[in-house]
Amino acid sequence: MFKFIKKSLLTVGIVMAASTAMAEYPEKPITVVVGYSAGGGTDVMARTTMPFIEKYLGKGARIVVKNMPGASGQIGITKVANSEPDGYTLGTFNLPGMMARTLDRSVEYDRNSFSFLANVVNDPNVIVTQKGSGIKSMDDLIKAAKSTPRAITVGMSSLGGDDHFLLIKLQKATETEFTVVPFRGSAPARTAVMGGHVAVGIFNVSEVAKFQGELNVLGIAQAKRSSFAPDVPTFKEQGYDLINGSMRGVVAPKGLPADVQAKLEKAFRAASQDKEFLSSMAATANPVEVVTGEEFKKLTDELYSLAKETWETTPWN
Amino acid sequence: MYSDLLNSLPVVLTFTNFAVVVIGVLAGIIVGAMPGLSATMAISVLVPFTFGLEPLVALGLMAGIYNGAMYGGAIPAVLLRIPGTPAAVATTFDGYPMAQSGQGGYALQVAVVSSSIGGIMSAFALMLLAPPLSKVTLLFGPAEVFWVAVFGLCSIIFLLGGNPVKGLISACFGVFVSVIGSDPIFGVDRFTFGQLELLDGISIVILLVGLYALPPVIDLLETPLKTETDASKLGTEPIWKTLPRMKSYIKTWIRGGIIGVWIGILPGAGGSMAAFMSYNEARRTSKNPENWGKGEPEGVAASEVANNADTAAALIPALTLGIPGTAVAAVMLGGLLVHGLQPGPMLFRENPDVVFGFMWQFLFGAILLVFLGGSLATNSFARLLNLPRPLLGSVIIVLMLIGVYSINERMFDVYLMLGFGAIGYLMDKMKFPLPPVVLGLILGGFAEENLRLALRIGRNDPSVLFQNTTSLVLVFLTLAVIVGPFLKRRFFDNKKKG
Repeated sequence: MFKFIKKSLLTVGIVMAASTAMAEYPEKPITVVVGYSAGGGTDVMARTTMPFIEKYLGKGARIVVKNMPGASGQIGITKVANSEPDGYTLGTFNLPGMMARTLDRSVEYDRNSFSFLANVVNDPNVIVTQKGSGIKSMDDLIKAAKSTPRAITVGMSSLGGDDHFLLIKLQKATETEFTVVPFRGSAPARTAVMGGHVAVGIFNVSEVAKFQGELNVLGIAQAKRSSFAPDVPTFKEQGYDLINGSMRGVVAPKGLPADVQAKLEKAFRAASQDKEFLSSMAATANPVEVVTGEEFKKLTDELYSLAKETWETTPWN
Repeated sequence: MYSDLLNSLPVVLTFTNFAVVVIGVLAGIIVGAMPGLSATMAISVLVPFTFGLEPLVALGLMAGIYNGAMYGGAIPAVLLRIPGTPAAVATTFDGYPMAQSGQGGYALQVAVVSSSIGGIMSAFALMLLAPPLSKVTLLFGPAEVFWVAVFGLCSIIFLLGGNPVKGLISACFGVFVSVIGSDPIFGVDRFTFGQLELLDGISIVILLVGLYALPPVIDLLETPLKTETDASKLGTEPIWKTLPRMKSYIKTWIRGGIIGVWIGILPGAGGSMAAFMSYNEARRTSKNPENWGKGEPEGVAASEVANNADTAAALIPALTLGIPGTAVAAVMLGGLLVHGLQPGPMLFRENPDVVFGFMWQFLFGAILLVFLGGSLATNSFARLLNLPRPLLGSVIIVLMLIGVYSINERMFDVYLMLGFGAIGYLMDKMKFPLPPVVLGLILGGFAEENLRLALRIGRNDPSVLFQNTTSLVLVFLTLAVIVGPFLKRRFFDNKKKG
């Protein structure tokens, strides 16, 4: 008798699972797990983007943003990696942070634990100094760094983040050495640069866009100039081949059904063309650069290799 | 600099933003009036529920509660000689004798008017001092912030009175708790035992709810206090008739207000110390010191004006430097951070509506105190003391559990809170002071992080800590706090002998 119940329950289960797969996705609310608290940069990205994904998924799709803060995003992303790949649990994904964590900590996920949907924000790094400081250009900076190695202090938001990777690239490219001062978050680091407590700061363009009156922005680490700071030359223009930034996107657990993956990618691509979406992202100081699917995976692989190489040669902890 | 202050006024005067202040003040008076339930507890129990609200709604509620609770503590202090909050201890000295001689109503009126005046002075201090101070905070780099934290830790250990050894042990416990989690520079795990939930360290709200709310609740359930009060014996006259009599306290109000504001600004010390200092100063300068302790209304005025004057002032270092000087300021700062508002000079520029609106809410809270806590309601608040305590305790426990769970939706946090509650209960019974634990957690974290940043900046040369005037002034103040009490004792002993 008990066996019979078990069997029939199992059958019902299989039939239900099968019918879920056959029905049109999405047929119930989708949860997007944000590994940071409400109000932070990643949360703002998710909450600004998701209404547009709902719109382009159509069929009355509903997306619920759920914050699971803790351990610099690790709790949230681990939850996503271990979820059912049915398209109803997605999660925000930060680069290079999420990849760096797989190196500097023992974590329960790696870059193969995910189906990559879309990167949404690419916030390029900038190097800044205090307005009154003697360092007004990249050449000044490199000259000063060469004259006394390690004498120049560089404030940034943390070790092993995008800010830190930019500095490592810079040190390698110019054969210089700086002293890293990792604050807890970019706001205190920025205040320290303004107060002259550290000589230089590395941030993302969205973090300094409003402070161009108090800070010299020496350069921006992307291929083209940013609309947030159009007067700031790229590093490339100044002869330094530096491209780096903080990226925020959305992933799903590995093994997402192909049709669901295609639908979601399509929705992200459609959203990236939406004028209303672009203006609300600009209003929250989020430089948009949508990259979907395979390309996003490739981007992650690249950043992982960079992080790994860096970790092996100059570990940050 | 101050134009933002005026511009934010209309925002505060919208219905919701104002209504929450009214609700907060009422709730604060009620909580403060319950013996054992302090302002810190009310705010920390409430804070998790405000995370989903608009910033000004959440902050207005907190400002109202803070103001209300600081007065509410006077009600049982006067009627039962039980200070409703630690800051109301000095109010019992003269408030209770007044109630014994049938002047209880007048004592409460003096308390509410004084509280209100103290709160208004404090709000003005915040409004006038914070914006210019936020400009000089650029002077505070890691080395200076380190010294501010050390100063705060020393002052809470040595100035909180009682037993400096127990204070030191409490503070060390707090500093130890601050070490849990990944370290601020390298992210190395410390005392996490593999628990992901501990990687970010112990949240101040969880510690506060555990330490400050659970022990008094257990106390509520333990002791069936007889609190029969009879409102008709208060001898309450309408407040407009008694107000003219209070004219003579103006000097006491000004002095107590300044003491309260000053104590509030200094990190570490809090409302109870402000009340004691103000009381002692007022007695020292009184023409008839022999009446003090026997029902001198001026004593109630001195104590109550000072414990409210410390409220908004405590937020000055919190908003400008990001260093909360009291537990309540720490919780409020947490409230700001949840809404993505980073304290520091940028706060005043980026979110003037919120930061200045919050200041207005403090001012309105203080003014509302007279109306809500005045003659109109004092009698009804006195009846509050007759509420069945076990019922009250159970309700608070439920609120605590839901609140702590809702912060991160984790049972882990609830267990953590209960654990801290057990520790807090034991500490309470063994007469270890609790505020140093909280300040140890807050300031210990600041001290460690900034010391290490400063040393990195100085490339491990400790002289970086003494490089400029701001640091040296802070070092001197710290030494004064440590040595001061010993010198004073010696000086007084010598005088007695001579």
